[in-house]
Amino acid sequence: MKIITCMKWIPDTSEAELSIASGGKDIKKDDLDYDLNDWDRFAIEEAVQLKEKYDGEVTAISVAPEDAEEMLRECLARGADEAFQIWNDAFEGSDGFVIARALAEFIRKRPFDIIVTGTLAEDDGGGQVGGMLGAMLGVPSATLVSRIEIADGKARFRRELEGGLYENIEMELPAVISVATGLNEPRFVSIRAVRKVASIDIPTVDLDELGLDESQVGHSGSRISVEKVFLPPEGEGAEIIKGSTEEAAARLAEILKEKGVL
Amino acid sequence: MTILEPANVPLLGIPAPTIALIIILGSIAFFTYVMWKRIDLLKRCAPDPRFSDVSERIKMTLLYGFGQLRQPRYFGAGLLHILLFAGFMILSLRSLTLIGRGFSAEFHLPFMTGAIAFGYDAIKDYTVLVVLGVCLIAIARRAIWQPARYAHPGTHGHEGEAFIILGLVCSLMITDMVYDGSAFIPHPEPWYFFPASALAASFMKSASPDTLNSLHIGGYWAHILFFFGLLNYLPISKHFHVITAIPNVYFSNLKHGAIKPVRYGVSDWMELEQCGVNDLTGFTWKHVLDFYSCADCGRCSDNCPANIVGRALSPKMISIKARDYAYQKYPIFGSPKDFGAKKLVGDIITEEEIWACTTCGACERECPIFIEYIDKIVDMRRYLLEQGALPQSLQKPLQQIKKKGNAYGAVKGKRAAWSKDIEGVEVRELKKGDTADLLFFVDSCGSFDPRIQEISKSFARILGRTSCDFGILGQDENDSGNEVRRIGEEGLFEQVSEKNIEAFESRNFRQIVTYDPHAFNVIRNDYPKKFPIIHSSQLLSRLVRDKMLKFSGDYIGGRLVTYHDPCYLGRHNNIYDDPRFVINSIPGLRFREMERCCSRSFCCSGGGIMLWYENEQETQRMGEKRVRMAQEIGAQVIVTACPFCLINVEDAIKTTGNEGRIEVIDLVELADRSMS
Amino acid sequence: MKNIYVLAEHRKGTLRDTTWEALAAARTLAPQFGAEITCILLSNDASTISDRLVQEFSKVIAIEDPSLETFNSDACIKCLVSILGDKSDYLLLMGNSNSVIELAPGLSITLDAALATDCFGFDVVDGALCALRQIYSYKVNALVSFKGAAKMVATLRSGSFPFTPTAQAGGSVEKMESPLKSEKLRKVFVSYEEAEKGDVDISTAEIIVSVGRGIGDEPDMDVYQSLADTVGGVLACSRPIVDKNLLPKYHQVGTSGIEVKPKIYLALGISGAFQHVGGIKGSPLIIAVNKDARAPIFRVAQYGVVADINDMVPALEEKIKEIKG
Repeated sequence: MKIITCMKWIPDTSEAELSIASGGKDIKKDDLDYDLNDWDRFAIEEAVQLKEKYDGEVTAISVAPEDAEEMLRECLARGADEAFQIWNDAFEGSDGFVIARALAEFIRKRPFDIIVTGTLAEDDGGGQVGGMLGAMLGVPSATLVSRIEIADGKARFRRELEGGLYENIEMELPAVISVATGLNEPRFVSIRAVRKVASIDIPTVDLDELGLDESQVGHSGSRISVEKVFLPPEGEGAEIIKGSTEEAAARLAEILKEKGVL
Repeated sequence: MTILEPANVPLLGIPAPTIALIIILGSIAFFTYVMWKRIDLLKRCAPDPRFSDVSERIKMTLLYGFGQLRQPRYFGAGLLHILLFAGFMILSLRSLTLIGRGFSAEFHLPFMTGAIAFGYDAIKDYTVLVVLGVCLIAIARRAIWQPARYAHPGTHGHEGEAFIILGLVCSLMITDMVYDGSAFIPHPEPWYFFPASALAASFMKSASPDTLNSLHIGGYWAHILFFFGLLNYLPISKHFHVITAIPNVYFSNLKHGAIKPVRYGVSDWMELEQCGVNDLTGFTWKHVLDFYSCADCGRCSDNCPANIVGRALSPKMISIKARDYAYQKYPIFGSPKDFGAKKLVGDIITEEEIWACTTCGACERECPIFIEYIDKIVDMRRYLLEQGALPQSLQKPLQQIKKKGNAYGAVKGKRAAWSKDIEGVEVRELKKGDTADLLFFVDSCGSFDPRIQEISKSFARILGRTSCDFGILGQDENDSGNEVRRIGEEGLFEQVSEKNIEAFESRNFRQIVTYDPHAFNVIRNDYPKKFPIIHSSQLLSRLVRDKMLKFSGDYIGGRLVTYHDPCYLGRHNNIYDDPRFVINSIPGLRFREMERCCSRSFCCSGGGIMLWYENEQETQRMGEKRVRMAQEIGAQVIVTACPFCLINVEDAIKTTGNEGRIEVIDLVELADRSMS
Repeated sequence: MKNIYVLAEHRKGTLRDTTWEALAAARTLAPQFGAEITCILLSNDASTISDRLVQEFSKVIAIEDPSLETFNSDACIKCLVSILGDKSDYLLLMGNSNSVIELAPGLSITLDAALATDCFGFDVVDGALCALRQIYSYKVNALVSFKGAAKMVATLRSGSFPFTPTAQAGGSVEKMESPLKSEKLRKVFVSYEEAEKGDVDISTAEIIVSVGRGIGDEPDMDVYQSLADTVGGVLACSRPIVDKNLLPKYHQVGTSGIEVKPKIYLALGISGAFQHVGGIKGSPLIIAVNKDARAPIFRVAQYGVVADINDMVPALEEKIKEIKG
């Protein structure tokens, strides 16, 4: 089985204090650590587990700048057989559509049975690439998938709905499956595991190999564009209780009492 | 009458010496074959250089092998074992003599004549009674009282073997008594010289001469058969320790606090086909000898904090399961058992067991014959980790150390942020080439955990007030890597230790000082380059002795204080007295030890990134257990000397509802607040 | 844009609230562009659902097909293309539900439309429609333009567009031929599956103490359980806590977890990602404690404290105990 998995290299913003860059169209990223998108960690793990279960090969692909090589190397250590890095500086500022397009152009020339991606990336939170990629390649796609089995050329999977409800779906292959977090336990990658795959070449793929030109990627190729970013006002909406921990706790306890909790 | 001697009486027409020879040769042949098989397995195992330091090893063997110094840690059982062991030593001469008597009625060992022989025989007679008595008590203990530590959870029971062995030993003693007692009747001596013989004789008094002869000869041959039966039963049972314990002590680990390399004798472990241990022969020969040697006494598990709070780990079961596996996979007779897909590491010894260990070392400290567990656990973790099977809760902190040099995910540049704005002290960040008398190694916890930063500040204040010339590494400091190594991530350990070593080498200092026993341990024992390092408690005790540091009792105010020994300070580095000296130099303080103290201190659940480890099986937290121990003696203050102990115990004080009743404080903070 | 289309979403024969929220958004936008609002209903049995729709929409386009009983993104794309394929100058609005998350990206490619997902608001800049979204772990707001596209698709964050029924539309239903008759679908619904039910039912609890990522990487869950016990509530959590195996799935509040309807919701260290807030129904009193003053949870909370919950929780429990005596 040929498995392709698409990875995203994103700044880790979950715990960091963010500020707006000059120009107001993005945040300052200099001090941020970049890492594999958390959802994609589950995707590569699922891809490798599918390979281990059903026999096959895993190809990891990312549209990402030079620094991201370490992420793809880590994918090899996790069990991918080969990895490709698609990049040209013109990709800077691309939306989900452009990323999906670049991936589609690359994948179009390669046979595959299943493409595994994460459903979302935590940077733009768009959740677009998986479904767009499927449509561009003319194959069905699914998102928020929390369990996958393969049988008779079909994927039988479970996807999350709301309110603790799931649906079980059967889908023809080839297809794109975007996974939810928590569907597996991503393995740990040791320093030695990375060292062991140090000699594997990670080819870089440029625009011409994709048959795209600079105007088709980056801001100019995107279908939506960020005009302005801004931090939400502090504590907008809520009445913020000030004071020491002690005082705030006392006030909260009072509120709870007023509301008849205690 | 004269009694007939066995050597002179043919059995079924075969001369006695011939029979004796057949028994001896047969037994020795069988024994040799079994031992050869057992040693052959050791030869297949990983190398382990344990042949140096001969004088140290001989000393260990005399003290702990023959001297049985660890036995009395369990006083009753220990005493019985010492008596039994001494009995075996004494009776070994008797056994040799008796074997010779199968060939010649007059046989005796050299010099065993006249008064010496008489004296030995008298001692032997007393010994026989003592050994018989000890065995009967041991049988009763196991049958009636059934101490919990002998239990075998699961289906790995070997309890029956203990009764077989004890039965065989009793039989040996009784047949000896019959043999000697029957000869005692025609040649009586005062009973107080030969109480065993006299006792046996009293039962045979009315026997006819023929019966006496039969008893004498029958007793003899029965004794010989039981003797060789026992000898051959040992290597196929858990009582192999009778043979292997002494060598096991001789070859015991002399490098305390250190973790073994991935594989001995390999220049670059990164090039190895596989890292860590996933099967029996992946362990070193000494570690498999450990498995052979375990007597199932359960002292390790009885003291294992993981076992006590209900985690899946019971150290003795690792030895027992591995030994069962070894005996089945490398059998004496027949073909090896097919374990199918069942693997030794992961299935028989489960992942839960392997991750449950805090590496506190209580098991190793307790084992009378120095069986090791930490190195084995770490070797198995190395394998699991390489397979990616690291518990999820530990993945993120390890990734953070890889990326940022600390498990807290904090920016490197903020490593020294705690040291700004401490009243009255300026903490110097040593740049490359700078010089200071003391290099204060803070480690990640002291740099980034807000509660532990307080200890860092206290320590800086003490160093400042006592005019110590000190500095810190600032952002050139990396996580010390104590737990990184013990989790099995050797590559990352190398990465952080190399960076720290580089930072040390590019600065000039006399000594490193740290208040974190984990950092202290890893720098002192694991780092490939050695640097002079002391723990804060040692520095404080020196400052007190030198009268540089003086205390008032104002802070402690006569409260009852106890001291919790951190595993990596006490058990792994033998520092017990310095912290106690510092505590007791505070005026007006009342001090009381907990029942578990010093080398029996109870781990409060591990430090470093073990703080992140979540265990699902445990029914209570180790820290809570420890706080209850302090509660039992009425302690109002628990002093410790480890930041992780502080975190664990402080949490446990809250969860056990002791907030406001018990205070936990680091020795450094106590000294800071008590300075006069 | 001349037209705003709203996709009606239904499950197990009932309309979902996302339909009405999308209509609410359409109603605020339509006057600004002079656009007409049309509802699109794809179902196996239009009549049972359309009664309610025509009260609010003046026009409903319906396609009926047995395979539209459950939400099948493959079937929906084919139907929507048959309706919208030859059209231009429109905006299609859908709730950002877990079903639409699967539908929207593929649909936008097939329709050749520009797509903005998970929008919590709209703005008109120089006469052009722009959407408001949250990016970077939902910590930063972004104004996003469709770059003048004539075909636009936007999915809407649950809870961002409150709907007021009018029941005055008196609309009509226009049924269209199903394009699915001759085609074999590549995706087939097999069954629904309920998440494991645990010993605690947070869906009916009146007081919920809920914890999120802010409890740190080494939490002591007993501390939070103890607080929940003290206030007489149950302990719940956000998704990262379940992903870390700190609590079982049946404690998870959110659109992919369990929807709750408490009277009081104490959110501790919860940043307030929409998937989480989307799981809190009704209008409970939300009290949030978070050390990040900009956390989105404060936007939905009535009371907030900017503090580390590790300090706050023990203090709060103590105060509550004092009051209770």
